[in-house]
Amino acid sequence: MTTYHELVKRLLDGELTLADLPPELHPQAREALHLVAALDREPVTLSPELVGRVMVSVRGRALSPARRVWRWLAAPRDFELRLRVRPLAIWGGAVAAAAALALILGHLSTGTSPVPVARTASSDNVVFVRFVLYAPGAKRVSVAGTFNQWNQEAAPLVLAGQDGVWTTTLALPVGQHQYAFVVDGERWVADPAAPAVGDGFGRRNSVIAVTPQGARTL
Amino acid sequence: MRALGFMLAAVGAIALLPLHAVTAQDIPARLLERVPANMVDSVQRIAQDAAAHGLPVEPLLLKAIEGSAKGVSAERVIAAVRVLAARLGESRNALREAGIPAPSPGAVESGADALNAGLNASQVRDLGRVSRPPYDPVVTLQVVAALTALGVPAPQGVRLMAHMIHAGREPKDLLELPNEVQISMARGATAAEAAEGLDAAQGGQGPQGQQGQQGEGNNPRKP
Amino acid sequence: MDSSDTVTDGEIVRAVRAGDVERYAVLVARYRDRFARYAARMLGSRDAAEDAVQDALVRAFDRLADCRDPDKFAGWLFLIVRNRCFAERRRQHREERVPEGVAAAFVAPERSDGAVEQRERADSLAWSVGQLTPEQREVVILKHVEGLTYEEIGRLTGSTVASLKMRMHRAYDRLRELMTEHL
Repeated sequence: MTTYHELVKRLLDGELTLADLPPELHPQAREALHLVAALDREPVTLSPELVGRVMVSVRGRALSPARRVWRWLAAPRDFELRLRVRPLAIWGGAVAAAAALALILGHLSTGTSPVPVARTASSDNVVFVRFVLYAPGAKRVSVAGTFNQWNQEAAPLVLAGQDGVWTTTLALPVGQHQYAFVVDGERWVADPAAPAVGDGFGRRNSVIAVTPQGARTL
Repeated sequence: MRALGFMLAAVGAIALLPLHAVTAQDIPARLLERVPANMVDSVQRIAQDAAAHGLPVEPLLLKAIEGSAKGVSAERVIAAVRVLAARLGESRNALREAGIPAPSPGAVESGADALNAGLNASQVRDLGRVSRPPYDPVVTLQVVAALTALGVPAPQGVRLMAHMIHAGREPKDLLELPNEVQISMARGATAAEAAEGLDAAQGGQGPQGQQGQQGEGNNPRKP
Repeated sequence: MDSSDTVTDGEIVRAVRAGDVERYAVLVARYRDRFARYAARMLGSRDAAEDAVQDALVRAFDRLADCRDPDKFAGWLFLIVRNRCFAERRRQHREERVPEGVAAAFVAPERSDGAVEQRERADSLAWSVGQLTPEQREVVILKHVEGLTYEEIGRLTGSTVASLKMRMHRAYDRLRELMTEHL
């Protein structure tokens, strides 16, 4: 079986015109052009329901599978965002986590939240969580975790005042997350007041559960 | 029909992947961005192997990204990813043995986290057994893992969860367990004592215990 | 709600990344059909194309954080669609579900002039295109159906113009061979 002549192929590529080809190649050229011309160029329209189907998936995937379950359990309605003050974590010192918890308990028992409450419009699946670390000698502090792909640039903390207390507030999706503080870009520190699990590298990660009622260290 | 409709400005400078990277699953693109080159191949192999076995890949990638963010050596990262992959497989087997023929990726992941926190495979299986709708194994596994992380002995945590479920407690109440343990601990209890106290509050006697809010039918013990 | 025609892809991508998930629907509607013909010709059926495009749009959402240049969302999405097509093709082969000889899969739509001979030829050609390797089929589709130049195809797929031409020229011969046998 014969292959197309090189010039015919270049004709098909659009490099040459029929006039550029010697007459003896014209029949082959026409055959080839007819072949290519017969390719189906009809536009294809997909069903309008595709948009809806994609968005259903997307809304569910705005949360990971585990977070989906948490969200479902919590029967989402309009959520109130609460700035939950986390227990102070001490770097290089010792403070009774129990005392810090008592602070929270105090708020719980009086039934008032210590900070103003805000309504959220579109983000009914994120909660603001405040991270606090006491690190007086540090030059910079950030928090990295599963919620920001362990990127230590993504969530820096800022000094609140002069006494070495670093803080930031993040919008976290509902669900369970692991995290750690990064001090001066090199020291990874678990939150001493939070439960910790092994990270597989010989260190510990802190665990936090974010529910629509506010964040809790698990 | 003109190409413009097809490609527009996109044909300009796109970050191109060579054909072999495109035909491999989407894994390399994410890894290449965050993970040193000497790790990518090994992690990709582990992840593809996991995917071939129907195990979730996302936690493996995240673990590799975590390791390189922490400056851990390539060997250590690869070892940790391998361990996690094995745990995912172990978790899935345990859930299958629990009678869940096709555990969700979230459940498999939560099971692996539970194994990491200190539960063993039979405990994961036992939790899987009691976690029938409306109780999702994703939540029950995560909660018991958290209890274990707080210091509650694993068998006790599993028992407490089973009792909560048998007592018909609402699924969202399960989420509160770790916090309640922490509150008790703040008052001076040990983790085990705190869990014991919560268990006692259920009636602590398995299916014959006190009914919770979801009591079915007429139960003479219902308060 | 602002007119979705005037908002750029980049603006929408950034908004979705910032948490406004619902705006993604604008991108989905915008690109629903853009690569449909490419996917349909690659996979041999509109249904398969619909699955691939739907899957690709969801994956694109999953990986939106990885889209380095939000203003070039279209090209980035194309690569994901392309990836899905190649993956689906491999899966079809593994499961031996290549729509081979199922002319219906590749059948060209009914022509209004009803010329039987013409239709048979179009079917036969469609079937032949389906017999090419995925790489050959892709270059044929991108050049002769989508109308891209070799340079544009090269930028999209990462192949050199020289290798694309070589691939195409082999495809021309293969198509001629298949058309001769089939008829």
